[in-house]
Amino acid sequence: MSTRLQHIKDHIWAANQCAEMSISTPSPLTTHVLNTGHGTPAASMGLSLHFLDPTSMTWNLLTTGTTNNDGRCPCLITREAFIPGAYKMRFETGQYWEALGETCFYPYVEIVFTITDASQKFHVPLLLSRFSYSTYRGS
Amino acid sequence: MAAPTPGGPLTTHVLNTADGVPGAHIDLSVHRLDPKLVLWNLITLGSTDEHGRCSGLITKEAFTAGMYKIRFETGQYWENLGQTSFYPYVEIVFTITDLDQTFHLPLLLSRYAYTTYRGR
Repeated sequence: MSTRLQHIKDHIWAANQCAEMSISTPSPLTTHVLNTGHGTPAASMGLSLHFLDPTSMTWNLLTTGTTNNDGRCPCLITREAFIPGAYKMRFETGQYWEALGETCFYPYVEIVFTITDASQKFHVPLLLSRFSYSTYRGS
Repeated sequence: MAAPTPGGPLTTHVLNTADGVPGAHIDLSVHRLDPKLVLWNLITLGSTDEHGRCSGLITKEAFTAGMYKIRFETGQYWENLGQTSFYPYVEIVFTITDLDQTFHLPLLLSRYAYTTYRGR
């Protein structure tokens, strides 16, 4: 199977099998969402990971998930599927605050980042309040 | 009724927090979401000045309620400084409901981190 087809197969596998992914093969890409307005993890927030197809310049959905009680979403992508390129994490911040009975200035947050060395680990957290957010590259 | 601000109802300020300087000469664009077509319409193209600011982002007349996006060409900025950056660009999407207010959306930026907040 060509390398490109293998990557596509891995992406589909990741999107379908997120819940069953073994914790013994941790995702090279992680996130952590913190509610800085309340001083708590941001639990039950919908999020999605996308990869920019360089030939068509369109975003391909890789994974959808929801943060756990700790504000984390452990199975974003497998090591095999994690190739260099442009990625986007989208966080459903508006829905999150609406579920808490509050409004949010940001209906969603998209963080677009470039991976050149896919052998490293990347931590893309989101520190969020109703009127502010921060992100940084961790490892 | 709030007094009209010199910069208009929507302003921004980009700061390079890594070097402790304004984020000067950064290209940016303002877009409004067409709610029927679910497409982004380009409203304004601009560039920050030497102070990291960009005036005239939108007129009071054009500033209707809805969903907006400011896109900052941050990757190009760092490339012009001879450096790489984790983020090829930064887009901040926000919702405007109360048109009597003014909105100041700064971007505090380094090569590996950024922060934004809603100011007045």
